[in-house]
Amino acid sequence: MSPEQTSLLQGTLDLLILKSLRAGEMHGLGVSRRIEQLTGGTFVVKPGSLFPALHRMEEEGWISAFWGESENNRRAKYYRLSKAGEKQLEAETKRWSRISLAIGQALEAS
Amino acid sequence: MPLLVKARSFLRNLFFTRRVDADLDQEVHSHLEMLIDEKIRAGMTPAEAQRAARIELGGVEQVKIHVRDSRTGAFLDSLMQDVRFAIRGLRRTAGLTAFVVVTLALGIGMTSGTFSMVDGLIFRPYPVPHPGGVVTLAGTTHDSMIEDFSYREYLDIRDKTKSYDGVIAYADMQAVGFGAEPAATPRVKGGMMVSGNFFRVLDVEPRLGRGFREDEDQVPGRDAVVVLGADFWQHEFAADPGVVGRTVRLNGTPFTVIGVAPDSFSGLLTFGHPDFYIPLAMARTFSTNIEKNFFEDRDDRELNVKARLQPGTALAQARNELAVVAKSFERDYPNVTRSRGAAVYTQFQTRTIEDDNWKFGVIFVILALAVLLVACTNVAGLLLSRARARAREIAVRLALGAGRLRLIRLLLTESLILAILGGLGGIAIGYGLVNWFHSKESIVFETELPMAVPFHMDKRVLLACVGMAVLSALLFGLAPAVQSTRVDLVNALKSADVDLPGRKRLWGRNLLVVAQVSMSLMLLTAAFLMARGFQHTLLEGTDFTKDHLLMTSFDPRLVQYNAAQTQQFYKLLAERMRESPGVQSEALTQNVPMGQEAYDGVTFVPEGFTMPPDRENFASMMDTADEGYFQTLGIAILRGRAFLASDTVDAPRVAIVNDHFARHYWPGGDAVGKHIRLDSSTGTPVEIVGIAQTIKYQSTSSPIDFVYLPLAQHPVARMVLMLRSSGDPLQLVQPVKDAVRSLDPNLPMLQTRAYEELYLNQAIRGPQMAIDMVGSMGLVGLLLAIAGLYGLMAYNVSRRTHEIGIRMALGAAGSDVLRMVMGKGIVLVAMGTALGLAMGFALERLMNSMLFNSGGVDVVAYLIVVPTLFLVTMLATYVPARRASRIAPTQALRYE
Repeated sequence: MSPEQTSLLQGTLDLLILKSLRAGEMHGLGVSRRIEQLTGGTFVVKPGSLFPALHRMEEEGWISAFWGESENNRRAKYYRLSKAGEKQLEAETKRWSRISLAIGQALEAS
Repeated sequence: MPLLVKARSFLRNLFFTRRVDADLDQEVHSHLEMLIDEKIRAGMTPAEAQRAARIELGGVEQVKIHVRDSRTGAFLDSLMQDVRFAIRGLRRTAGLTAFVVVTLALGIGMTSGTFSMVDGLIFRPYPVPHPGGVVTLAGTTHDSMIEDFSYREYLDIRDKTKSYDGVIAYADMQAVGFGAEPAATPRVKGGMMVSGNFFRVLDVEPRLGRGFREDEDQVPGRDAVVVLGADFWQHEFAADPGVVGRTVRLNGTPFTVIGVAPDSFSGLLTFGHPDFYIPLAMARTFSTNIEKNFFEDRDDRELNVKARLQPGTALAQARNELAVVAKSFERDYPNVTRSRGAAVYTQFQTRTIEDDNWKFGVIFVILALAVLLVACTNVAGLLLSRARARAREIAVRLALGAGRLRLIRLLLTESLILAILGGLGGIAIGYGLVNWFHSKESIVFETELPMAVPFHMDKRVLLACVGMAVLSALLFGLAPAVQSTRVDLVNALKSADVDLPGRKRLWGRNLLVVAQVSMSLMLLTAAFLMARGFQHTLLEGTDFTKDHLLMTSFDPRLVQYNAAQTQQFYKLLAERMRESPGVQSEALTQNVPMGQEAYDGVTFVPEGFTMPPDRENFASMMDTADEGYFQTLGIAILRGRAFLASDTVDAPRVAIVNDHFARHYWPGGDAVGKHIRLDSSTGTPVEIVGIAQTIKYQSTSSPIDFVYLPLAQHPVARMVLMLRSSGDPLQLVQPVKDAVRSLDPNLPMLQTRAYEELYLNQAIRGPQMAIDMVGSMGLVGLLLAIAGLYGLMAYNVSRRTHEIGIRMALGAAGSDVLRMVMGKGIVLVAMGTALGLAMGFALERLMNSMLFNSGGVDVVAYLIVVPTLFLVTMLATYVPARRASRIAPTQALRYE
């Protein structure tokens, strides 16, 4: 495993999952791989964090789940972004931009 | 919408646990399969791929646990787990569980039942909106903290005070002749005269029609209007909504129904629920003092005054204001207002001053709480023993990584389930107790007036039940739970038997034994003292005639008699009855001994008695009686004479006092021939012509001063006719009816019954009921303590089987073991006895100050209770000790 696997900030995981699902419905492994790809391998989400997050977000109504077929014809649970999820993604993105901007400024000033 | 989704998930997680779990299982497994596929595609061998995938996944079960913990309602889920686990555990030890539940139920039930009593008597708020703002305005004298006001005084108070959003007045509930139709024979109902602003100030909105207008209370006799009580309306008028506007007859006068009070408003009285309300301005139609003019005489004091305190006004301020008004009465009307003050009371204060019965309630609650505490210590002891037996299980759980708090929660869940079951049982027992109160007419004897027992298992009492259950769960559950999770893991897992090191482990259990013994000693003492106290009051001053007496009451005001007509009626009635066959003797009296109505008071100055500087007169209870009274009731005249027919209005005023009175004011001298002056030193002189035997006048009261005045010289409207019969007194009912009908067919006979029935009820059954109650509480407390003590001792012995086995193998004799185990028990019981004695003394002082005034210490009670308890508790320790002394060493040592 890569040493750069930074631990995810609280709330960041949700954002990354929502972002991944923005591209279309996918199963858990797909989400996990997509996050790796999106962050250039910086974040590797372990199933022990991924599944609780997926289930929690489903209960929040941001994503919905359904059973489908995987690429190699396996039964897999797929997740799809809901209307509420899209709104959430928007809000989270704004929040994150604000935070990262602020942190960036704070670090640059010396 | 998201909230809806969440709620749906919550319900799904709660009710379709299995499906949700299967789904999760599938998902994680498919994830694993896909991981493997991925690795194989990347070039690994299937075996390598399997391993790598599993490592990446980090364990199927772990992932599932993480997901479950993050679900909505995860807390509830684990709680349900705890509950299920606890129930399983409790069912395994069903006998123990049943014992604990019954124990708790007894404690909680007794407490809630007795609390309902105290609640009904003093705590329950008036059934009006914002009841806390309603205060009582009362007159005060040297001898009484709560006195009524006259109509004039009420008007002045109403107009001169500024602290209130309205001041109301009402007279006591009284018997009123009621007829729905003009032609119907009147029946006796309970009516209450109230001021015109009564409903407005109390914020009571009639459910039908309207309440009184203020102007309907201005002109005496003008507005004959009536508001019906909801109960009365439902029973008498079948809840007819067309009742408003109808005319009914009250004491023969037509009244227009203008409204019906709401269901929620049953009046301001603790026991009585008036059938209807009439304006004060109609007082002439109802029973008031016949010698006085209700609207004019400032000393015709018949009104209770209450007011709604303005928000933000301090009680102290209102008190000062009223005190000023009371002073002005004394200044402006010195002839009729002497040494009278005024006070403002809260509801709680009012009820505690008005009626002493709440004190019994409080003592009962204290005793019941003691039973509950004994029950709790019992349960704590049992749980402690059980937790120790489970120490290994708990150690295994802790070793496997269970959090200590989680385990305490589990154990507390168990206690809580026990408490809830006990609480449910307690509610059932409480209901039983309240029903028992209701079934006992001794609390409220059947009368013509609408009276009801105010004790209910209402919301407040049920809430108290739940509170007690939870509190007791914490009380008995927390200590064992904390202690049993504080174990040395290594030792606990090594041996089957775990204990905290040193003396600490014994401390808790020893404390329980001491607490139990002392509590039950206190309970028994109290029960015994109370029983003896009642026994004492039962027997005191009761040697007068109760049997072969018929009683029936009259109130000629009900048919509009004036004073002269009333006098004439009683005179004729007495004459007719004396001539009637079967009547051995006849008496007229204002009150019967041990009756339900309060005696009037009389103020006087004894001749030749030096008055203390701060008071103008003394007060005493009094009765008005005719010449047949003492003979008919068999009340002995010790010196002097009884009343005679010659004690007429024109004859010199005379009085008879009781022995207690005579000794009080003329100690050592003869009171006969002495004079008292009524009201003040310048009042009417009255000669004492006889000394009557002191009897019991009211329930559970110690001997009091008492004055009798002759009917002819002190006319009273409402009188009781008492007839001595040779056979069944009820056979005289018809002759009385005939006589009354011949005098006035419209005059109702009230409360006609055999006097003995009333006497038994008032004087015997009430105290007997109290004796039964405290007796059963004492007994339950004792039984619980014995059971608990036995349990703890037996448990101690079983814990020490191994040790005792070694001792005996090393040569200790059975008697040594017996002595060792017993010795320990004796020390604990002795400590508990000492503590219990201290508590018993404290409670006795409290009871003496509240109830019996017997003073001193009841040595006999302690002489009986202490040895009894000691013997019984010793027996409870002896049985396990004996078992210990019979332990066979070989068996004890093989045991592990």
